[in-house]
Amino acid sequence: MSTAIETSIRRRDLVFGIAFITRLLLFQFSEVTDILASRVEVVTPITSFTRLTEGLYLFQNGVPPYDGGVFHQAPLLLAFFQPLSYLPDQFTSLIYILIDLLLAYLLSQISRIKQQLYKDLPRVDDIELIDDNKNEEEESSWVVAGLYLFNPFTIATCLSKSTITFTNLSIALGTFYSLKGNKIHGCFWIAMATYLSFYPLMLIIPITMLLVNSGKIMSRTPPQQESFSSSSSKSITISKKIEIAQCIILYIGWLAVLLLLSFILVESWDFLEATYGVILLLPDLTPNIGGIMAVFKSYPSIGDASFYLGFLPIYSEIVKYMRYNFFTTNIFLYSSLLAPIFYHLWIYAGSGNANFFYAITLVYSVGNIILLVDATFAMLRREFDVWNPKLRYCEVTQR
Amino acid sequence: MQQYSVRELHLTFTQGRWEYDKWGYPLSSSAGTGVELWAWLWKNENLDDNWKSLTNALSGLFCASLNFIDETKTVQPQLSFRPEGPYNDTELYDSAELRTGSLPHENVCTENLTPWIKLLPCKSTAGIASLVNGHELYNSNFHSMSINVRPVCQDSECTHQQLEILQTLSTVINPVRNKGVRDWSLSELYNRKILRVCPLANESNLLLIIPEEGDFEIIPEADQVIKGETINQNIAIYDLKKDPHNLQLSMKWNETQFTYDNQVILPQVFAHRYFSGYGEERGGIKVNIFNKSPDLTIPIIYYDVIPWYLKLYLHTLKVRINGVEVNSKSKDYPIKDLYYQPAMDRSRPAVIEALIHLPSNSITTLSILFDKVFLKYTEHPPDANRGFDVGSAVITVVSNKKDNDDGEKTEEYGFKIESPIRIYTETLLVSLPTPDFSMPYNVITLTCTVLALFFGSMFNLLTRQFVGLLTLNDEKINEEKQDGNKDVDRRNEEAEK
Repeated sequence: MSTAIETSIRRRDLVFGIAFITRLLLFQFSEVTDILASRVEVVTPITSFTRLTEGLYLFQNGVPPYDGGVFHQAPLLLAFFQPLSYLPDQFTSLIYILIDLLLAYLLSQISRIKQQLYKDLPRVDDIELIDDNKNEEEESSWVVAGLYLFNPFTIATCLSKSTITFTNLSIALGTFYSLKGNKIHGCFWIAMATYLSFYPLMLIIPITMLLVNSGKIMSRTPPQQESFSSSSSKSITISKKIEIAQCIILYIGWLAVLLLLSFILVESWDFLEATYGVILLLPDLTPNIGGIMAVFKSYPSIGDASFYLGFLPIYSEIVKYMRYNFFTTNIFLYSSLLAPIFYHLWIYAGSGNANFFYAITLVYSVGNIILLVDATFAMLRREFDVWNPKLRYCEVTQR
Repeated sequence: MQQYSVRELHLTFTQGRWEYDKWGYPLSSSAGTGVELWAWLWKNENLDDNWKSLTNALSGLFCASLNFIDETKTVQPQLSFRPEGPYNDTELYDSAELRTGSLPHENVCTENLTPWIKLLPCKSTAGIASLVNGHELYNSNFHSMSINVRPVCQDSECTHQQLEILQTLSTVINPVRNKGVRDWSLSELYNRKILRVCPLANESNLLLIIPEEGDFEIIPEADQVIKGETINQNIAIYDLKKDPHNLQLSMKWNETQFTYDNQVILPQVFAHRYFSGYGEERGGIKVNIFNKSPDLTIPIIYYDVIPWYLKLYLHTLKVRINGVEVNSKSKDYPIKDLYYQPAMDRSRPAVIEALIHLPSNSITTLSILFDKVFLKYTEHPPDANRGFDVGSAVITVVSNKKDNDDGEKTEEYGFKIESPIRIYTETLLVSLPTPDFSMPYNVITLTCTVLALFFGSMFNLLTRQFVGLLTLNDEKINEEKQDGNKDVDRRNEEAEK
C-alpha cells in the first residue's frame, strides 16, 4: 500500500516535471511566444502582456499610465512587475510557469478536499465506488492537475504571459482557502481576483456559502433526521448571519485595502475608469473569442475556458453523466483550429471578412454553452439517481 | 482675432508634397499636405471654446472643413511651433497657449483660393497677384498658400504692437515637363500678365533667383542684381513700381534640350516617413532623418501626431543611426528630450515630440510599433476601404542664430525666410480593419438565437423535474436485473445513457 502511494506521488512529480520542462522549452522559442502573445483568442486588451509592458514603461518614465487608451490593468500588477523589469526576461517566464504549476497543485488539493467532503454523502453506489483508499484519492488528484497542465489552452495562455493567470490563481487560492474554512485568506484572494478583473465579484456569494458552512457541506439527510429544537435552530441562523456579515465585511475591507494601495501607487483614481470602466463599457473593440460570451463577460479569452475546464475533472462523477462529451470536444477542437485561420483570412489575406471570425466565435460560444448545459443536466440527473435508486433502470424523462 | 483672443495665427493650405531632397528648402513657409492651422491664444477660461469657434469661423471664411479639427485632432505641442512675433518666454507661457490641428485629407481647390485672394488689398486685379490663375495653379506639381497673422513691434521697446498679415503662395511649376527645355515666360507659366501695380502697395518687387553663370538670357534686364544667399546664386530684382506696364518677363537658355543634373545641392536635413508591417492588425512607423552636413551635429525637434486609432507602444521606440541600434542608456543616444502624450480613445491623439541631435553625415531612424484599433462601424467614413490619413510629421531645425540678424535682413526684399526651418514628411494612408457593414443584422439574429438556446435549455433543466417512466415491462427487467445482480451490465447501460 505504501509503495502504491509512493508510485502515485512519483507520478505526480513526473506530471509536474514534464509540464515544467515543456513550458520552459517552449518559452525558448520566442517566435511561438510572440505569436501567442498577439493572438486575439489568447490575449485581450485587459490581459495583454504587451500592454502591461507599455504601462510599466510609461509608469517608469513618469507618464501616468492610465492617462491614455493603452493600459487597462490593475495598478498592483505594475508594482509586481517593476522589480522584474530589471531582471532578464527568463525570470518573468519562470514566474508564469511556477504560477501555472501552483494553480495545478491547488486544483489537485481542491479535488482532494472535495473527495473528503463528499465521502459521507449519498452516492450512486454501484458506479461510484466508495474509495477510502488513499491511493485512489492521490491518483485522481494528480490526474486533475495533469489535465489542467496539459490542456493546450492552458499552455497557450501561460506562454502568452496573459495576466489572466493572476486572476485564475487568485480564484483558485480563494476557493482553496474557503474550503479549508480560512475566512481571512479566502476573502482576501477573492477580493484580489475581483480587484484584478472585476467579474469574480460574483464569486463572493458561493465563497461566503462555503465559508459559512465552514467546509462542511450540509449533508442532505432527509428532513425527519434533523432533530433541531426550534431554539437551537434560531441561534444557528443568528450565528450564520454573523458569519455571513463577517465574510462580506472582510471581502469589502480587503478590496478597499487593495484599491487604496493602488491609489498610493499611481497617485490618482484614474485607474478605476481605465480598468473597471473599460471592462464594463467596452470601448476597445479588438475582436475576441467572445461573440456572445460577451453577454456574460467582456473580453473573454481561452484562459477563462482553460481554468473552468480545469475544474471539470474534479467532478468526475458528473462527467460520467454528460451526454455530449464527444460533440463538445469536437466543437472545441475545430473552433480552435478554424479561429486562427478565419482571422488570418479577414485581417491579413483580405479574402474573408469579419463574418468569418464572428461565425467561429459563435461556434466556440455554442460549445461552451453546450458544455455548461450538459454539466447542469448531468448534475441534476445524477442527483435524481442518488435519491431514486429504484428508478435507476427505468426510462427517465423531464416533466 | 480679437473676438476669439488670438495672439498669433498660421493657416496653410497645401496640395502635393514639397520634395526636399530635390528642391531644397521652400522659400516661404510651407506645410504638409492638406490644411494646417496653429494659433497662440490668450489664456482665459474660454480658451477651448475660442479655439473651437476660431476653427469654425475660419472654416466658414475659407470654405474648408476646418471645423473637423475637434478635440481628437487638436494638439498642444510643447517644443514645436514657437510664435513668430516678438515674445519673451515667461510672459508668453503665462498668458498664452498653443493649439494646433491639421487635416491631411483636405483637398485644396478654388473655393479656398478665392477667399484667400479676397484678403489682398487689390484682389487679383493688380500687382503680382494678378498672376494667380486657378487653372494653372492647380495644374502645378505643388502649391501651398498660407495666411500668417502675428503681432509686430512698433517701437524699440515693443510697447505698441500691431498685427501683421503675411499671405504667401508657393507653387512649383515645371516647364521642362511641357516643353523639354527650361525656357519660360511669365505669360506661359501663369497664362496671365501683370498689367498694373496695386496703388496701395508700398513696394512691389519681383525677385528671380538665377545662377551666377550660365548661357542664358533674361528679357527684360533686371533693375538690380544682388548676390544670393548661397554660392553660385544671384537675385535679380524687378521693381514693378518703376515699370508697371506689361512686364513680359521671360528667360531663355541657349540649348535644345535639358536634362536634370543630379548634382543638386541637397538640403542638410530632410526626412522620409513610412509604414512598416503588413495586415490590418498591427504595424509600425519608421522615420529616416538625414543629416547631410559633413561636420555639424544638428539639433532638431521631431514632432509627430498619431491619431488615436493607431495605438502606439512607446516601449517599442527604437533609434538607429546608420542602421546600428543605439541603446537609450548609451551616451550617443540622440534623443535628448522626449515629450510623449499617450492617446485617449475617441478623445485625443498621441503626440511625440523629441529633441534629437543628428550626428553629422548620418541617417537617424526612429521606429515605433502600433496596434490598429477596431473602430465602431459608425466611425468609418463612407469610403471605409480607402483608409485613414495620418498627417505629416514636422521636423523643426533649431537654429543657433539670433532671430533678428537673419529675419530683418531678408524681410526688406518682400519675403521672409522663416528663422526656424520646418520640414514636413509625407502624409501616410493607413487601412484599418473594416467590418462587413451588413454585419449588425447577422450578429443580432445569430447571437440572439444562441442566447435563446442557452436560456431555453437552462431554464428547461432547472424548472422541470425528472420522473421515471415505469412500464410493466421495465419493472420486470428491473426485477430480473436485481436478481441477477450483474454490475457490469448495469454499468454499461448507465454509460450508454
